Amino acid sequence: MTDLLASANPKEEWAVETHGLTKRFGDNVAVNDVELLVPRGCAFGYLGPNGAGKTTLIRVLLGLTHADAGTMSLLGHSVPRHRDAALAGVGAIVDEPRFHGHLTGRQNLQILAAAREPEAKGRVAPALERVGILHRADDKVSKYSMGMRQRLGVAACLLGDPQLLILDEPMNGLDPGGMLEMRDMIKSLVAEGRTVMLSSHLLDEVERTCDAVAIVDRGTVIRQGPISQLLAGSSFEVQVECSDPAVAGGLIQRTAFGGHVQVGPDGLAISLPEGTERDAIAEINRLLVEGGISVYRLQHIQASLEQWFLSVTSRLGSPE
Amino acid sequence: MTTISDVGAPAPGPAPTPTTAKRRSDHRGSWIPTWGMVTTRLMELRKRRGLMIALIAVNIGIPVVFLAIRLISHAVAPKSYGPAGGYSIFTTLVPGVMYIFGFIVAAVVGATAGSVDLTEGMFRHLVITGRSRMALYLARIPAGLAIVISIVAIGYTIVCAVCVFAAPTQLNYDGVNVPQGLSRPALDNWAAAHADKVICNFNFHGGDGLNGPPPNVPCGGGPSSGPQPGTVIQTKGGGTITVPANESQAQIRAFAVTVANQDYSDYRSNFIVPSNTLMIDVGLWIALEAAIGFIVGLGLASLMGQRTVPVILLIVLELILTPVFSRHIISHILNLERGIVGVAMIHIEPGGLPSPFGGGGGGPFGGGGGGGGPTLIPESTLVASLVIVGWIVFWTAIGAWRMITRDT
Repeated sequence: MTDLLASANPKEEWAVETHGLTKRFGDNVAVNDVELLVPRGCAFGYLGPNGAGKTTLIRVLLGLTHADAGTMSLLGHSVPRHRDAALAGVGAIVDEPRFHGHLTGRQNLQILAAAREPEAKGRVAPALERVGILHRADDKVSKYSMGMRQRLGVAACLLGDPQLLILDEPMNGLDPGGMLEMRDMIKSLVAEGRTVMLSSHLLDEVERTCDAVAIVDRGTVIRQGPISQLLAGSSFEVQVECSDPAVAGGLIQRTAFGGHVQVGPDGLAISLPEGTERDAIAEINRLLVEGGISVYRLQHIQASLEQWFLSVTSRLGSPE
Repeated sequence: MTTISDVGAPAPGPAPTPTTAKRRSDHRGSWIPTWGMVTTRLMELRKRRGLMIALIAVNIGIPVVFLAIRLISHAVAPKSYGPAGGYSIFTTLVPGVMYIFGFIVAAVVGATAGSVDLTEGMFRHLVITGRSRMALYLARIPAGLAIVISIVAIGYTIVCAVCVFAAPTQLNYDGVNVPQGLSRPALDNWAAAHADKVICNFNFHGGDGLNGPPPNVPCGGGPSSGPQPGTVIQTKGGGTITVPANESQAQIRAFAVTVANQDYSDYRSNFIVPSNTLMIDVGLWIALEAAIGFIVGLGLASLMGQRTVPVILLIVLELILTPVFSRHIISHILNLERGIVGVAMIHIEPGGLPSPFGGGGGGPFGGGGGGGGPTLIPESTLVASLVIVGWIVFWTAIGAWRMITRDT
């Protein structure tokens, strides 16, 4: 036990840290040399299209399958060497949460609590209450909807009073109201100082929920960092409502702004390349006014995470 | 690959709280399951209604229905139907039903315990707790055995109770009501007093040392069971004796005593009720068989990750392979035959029981008394015991190994 305690580094700033993590299934490399740093105390999105290797990475982190290469640590504990100490502070849902259907939600949690520390037994009812299914706690899980099972999965995560929650596609099966509640719950967990790492292919949800993301494609992490920082460096669009769109489009295309100009009946949509400064918007306005074009409206449209995601992943236009 | 140096990470979050460090002092890395793990696993199995119904129906229901029918039949028509209990019912019901079907049902429970976490998706949740996978596996053993053994014990207790309390008042030996537990002189005296019954019904084996030929005693108002007067009998000693026309009462009594003496050892193996020792021995024996069924089912299902195929394989083992290999010596695979757990179990069967699979022979404890089929294959008690221990250890180890190494 001394060894386990010694393995923890309380000053460790990363909730999850991987270096060169690789997992192969035959010739298929599901997790490819992944370098991932998840800061403590934030909501972190692990974002990628279907089949990108999100769930496989989570399974490797949790010791559900072994890694072929690389190192990793959870909450400062090296995994798999100190897996038990690391997982003591982790709660996770992997894939669709499934339970014993013939048992009630409460009984399922009692089974899981028994495998954790003694205090976990007393957290069953509070966890059920927190996820909003305490009133159905004594119903059999076979009668639960998909959304209720998802909530029960989150309740199972909370049994260990975790510092780190790893949620695999937590919005799956939830209706809009359920998604809103899940989003609020994740935010409240982060507000308590916990780290939430969630994988998803729902870009909009990740953008609304997470502070930072890693983009994974075909097993490889291709970008990671705070969302605001990632999007700040991306391309953006300027929508212009003006008197003569065709002439205005010609004027813009003759300048050195670069990018792409789309002419519509009421105005222009100008896509400016990555790294363009905001001053370009004022410059466009000046150019149009000096060219005799009446400008009725100028709007800066920041690229969404979805647009950015599609621009950086290889899926767009991929033959697969 | 993206390196971290070009990524601006958010500010580091808070360090682990003191409770986190405290939490790490639990023993979740230990291979020993906690009491809570065992009790919740017990609850999980106990709540499987279909499984429990099958378990109770086979181990309690079938014997209870059988005995209830016999009790009612005997109460309604005591001359046509014998008592519900007694030694013979015990020796019929226990090896014929409770032993074989107890194993099969225990195997079903074991296969269920070994596979449902995987098939129902709970295994991931359990592994994620950080608890030792070995402990997760081992927790299933006491939980499953508690269910299997308790149900077997209840069924067996009912059988024993009926066999003792609804037993016949007199021992029925070769169709004759004889007091139970007589010593050899006492049986001689009884035979002398009931010479006609003994001569007409007991088995006469012939042989040297007889003072005279079988007497001409009328049996059931008809002709004698012995040879007719004037018949020449070939004795085992090589000589011949001619049956005289009439015998004295003394000759008849002496002959009855001789026959009773010949049958004494067989008589001693017949009881009105099973002895306490026999009931305890047999109870432990069928409990061991059920425990083996559970542990093999658990290990095999953990290995295969499913329930159906292991159950089928174990039914084949119990109902086909064990009966065949226990009675037919195939010299090239004799050691393999000895290595079958069912064969080894027959060798340690308590004395006084017929073999569960029929046939002759018996173990060192005197088992396998009934039947007339091929003799049980030879195997020493030590080897049989080692085979049984080996099966338990092997299947526990193989199930635990698969549990530890399984990707999920």
